Amino acid sequence: MFPETAQRLKTAAPLFSHTAFLTDLRRLSAHGGARRHLTVGRCLTAKVPPPRNPRERVEIPGLEMVTYGERMHYVPGLAKPATQHWERDYKDPRYYKSPPAHEMLLYKDKPCYMFNQRTSALEGVRQAAWLTKTQVIPGLPAQLLSPAGNPENQIPDQDERVQNAIKHARFWDTTEDRPRKEKYSNTLLLNLLHLCATLQSSHPAVGRRMLAENYSLATTWKRGEDLLQIRGQNGLLLNSMDPLPEVSGKQEVADTADHVLDTFYPVSPTIDLQKVHVYKEEVNHTGFRDDYPYPHAHTLYFLESADPRCKLRPEQFRTKMIMFTFGNALARAHKLYGTRPQRLLDRPVTVQSVGTNGRIFQFMVFQLNTTDLSGDDGIKNQMWLDEDVELYDFAKVRPLIKKKQVKIPAGLAGYKPETFSKFLALYLHGAV
Amino acid sequence: MALSCLTRALRSLTLSQPALLSSQAAARSNLGAQVPSSAVIQWRGFLTTASLEQNRIRWKQREKYTIRPIGMKKTGGRDHTGRIRTHGIGGGHKQRYRWVDFHRLRYEANKEGQPFEEKVVEVRYDPCRSADIALVAGGERKRWIIATENMQAGDIIKTSGVIGRMAVSANEGDAYPLGALPVGTLVNNLEVRPGKGSEYIRAAGTSGVLLRKVNGTAIVQLPSKQQVQVLETCIVTVGRVSNIDHNKRIIGKAGRNRWLGIRPSSGLWQRKGGWAGRKIKPLPPMKVYVNLPSVSTS
Repeated sequence: MFPETAQRLKTAAPLFSHTAFLTDLRRLSAHGGARRHLTVGRCLTAKVPPPRNPRERVEIPGLEMVTYGERMHYVPGLAKPATQHWERDYKDPRYYKSPPAHEMLLYKDKPCYMFNQRTSALEGVRQAAWLTKTQVIPGLPAQLLSPAGNPENQIPDQDERVQNAIKHARFWDTTEDRPRKEKYSNTLLLNLLHLCATLQSSHPAVGRRMLAENYSLATTWKRGEDLLQIRGQNGLLLNSMDPLPEVSGKQEVADTADHVLDTFYPVSPTIDLQKVHVYKEEVNHTGFRDDYPYPHAHTLYFLESADPRCKLRPEQFRTKMIMFTFGNALARAHKLYGTRPQRLLDRPVTVQSVGTNGRIFQFMVFQLNTTDLSGDDGIKNQMWLDEDVELYDFAKVRPLIKKKQVKIPAGLAGYKPETFSKFLALYLHGAV
Repeated sequence: MALSCLTRALRSLTLSQPALLSSQAAARSNLGAQVPSSAVIQWRGFLTTASLEQNRIRWKQREKYTIRPIGMKKTGGRDHTGRIRTHGIGGGHKQRYRWVDFHRLRYEANKEGQPFEEKVVEVRYDPCRSADIALVAGGERKRWIIATENMQAGDIIKTSGVIGRMAVSANEGDAYPLGALPVGTLVNNLEVRPGKGSEYIRAAGTSGVLLRKVNGTAIVQLPSKQQVQVLETCIVTVGRVSNIDHNKRIIGKAGRNRWLGIRPSSGLWQRKGGWAGRKIKPLPPMKVYVNLPSVSTS
């Protein structure tokens, strides 16, 4: 019998024991010349049906059921003998059934709301702002963008090299007609990062940075009565040895106390967050060990197509960016200042993030001013968000022709140099 | 493999006492050993046939509510025996079922008894019914409900189970018990038994009229002009159901009917009997869904 038929038979017939089955197989296959090809008259590749709930036994006190157990065969009219529950005295991982949630060791009555990589928040940026007690400021801060005009902070032949990078990602990086979105967005991001890193010769601080991928972040905080956690594997993180300088001064930070957070009654701010009762309390982990030489998170890079199963709309993608940037900042703050809520941090923690889908970029700078997030009043964190910045209009492999006129030519069209200068400005922040 | 298992199991079925030689049998009887009749190995039966259940209705046996569309299996008008029970159904575009919550007054956990509000997130077409459905979000949950005529994304709709002394001036889309609404309001999604969920007036553009309220019950006129008496605690939604121009649409071609899953009727000419033709008859008597205390003759 072939091994694959054996495998399917095993799934299709869970009643028969596995070990006996294997011995039979071996006996059959090792029989020398005469192999028996057993056939069964039913489909071997069926879906395993879900386990049926056994009929409920009704116990009537004082009434003893007469079973056919002693007679060793089914007798119509007699009851089915009750089987004792049998537990293996050793632990076999193949037959391990996990206990229900309320019997687990880490079960708690109070639920915890978790935000992970696949969460699609209904209310978008407003919900993230409420959960992280943040004031959203549209547009990037001026002091971040001002060094971009300086020719020292620009790459020689910047426009041409960026356009080559886009063309490489969108046209040249495949043997097929056109590369798929997951591929070209990833290639484009890495090309742009490489271009930025070529400035290491003129900006030595760029060399004190390191890229890291797929590290697990965990942070906990309280918001009102609810416990919130961020967990997940991040995308790409640029770490650095030195922390980022703070973006807004002490006066602006104190002014945020007057800002009122947006609420969205009747929707609760914890909607769409995963509600769990089994969780570890007070987990705060940046994802790296304590002796890692690049402890400070500098910039996070998010790709829309990183998880193929989870497609997020632009608003939800920005929410994810905000929450994970906040998570990194909060984990760092907890490590520096402890987990007790601090009303005002001496040195606010700044983290940046960039999100892209291959053409449209979202830039964000987050400044964590306070870890006292339980109340709605007091000093708030700040966030500068630049949404939907296009790098180029079209990158078509075949031209769009309508009524015999070329509407959009093939190749790269509508390149906007300001977007890359913003990207570079975010990269060079702290290294200029 | 199946054979060997079968034989192994049947082997255990054989003699509860092994076959003994005559000398051993004599020795045993000499010793007077009691042959324990109950020294049998307990075992349970096994099924020798393949799985008996079919995969017909497993797609709709999900217990947990979800807003995600569920893949559907079309029946083609066939019942469990496999024969056609209803003619004219079959084919058509593939559809995914969106689980509509017909219990409008469904409280969230820990928030029983309080009227609540919900926000309409999206109103969209539903392939499984003539009306449009609306995704509403309130508190920590989202659900699909039947949309009313002027419902748009961003509206706030209220659901309440409280019957006050004065009638409420209800907005379209809100849900109240019949006892709380003024007489003459257009209603839809009518429950006839309180707590059972709405079963009437759900089609596109339909609406019922609250005719009168009579001590503890309310009388509603259904779109077929049939009148129905129900308890006043039954929840209804105010307004007309969405997609009001549904009956004015023109199918246009046979193919469009086939896309909707409607197969052509039998072409055989059949003499129309007493069932055909216009009938003018009085309205049927009012259907009463309330157990009124019967007058007992003592």
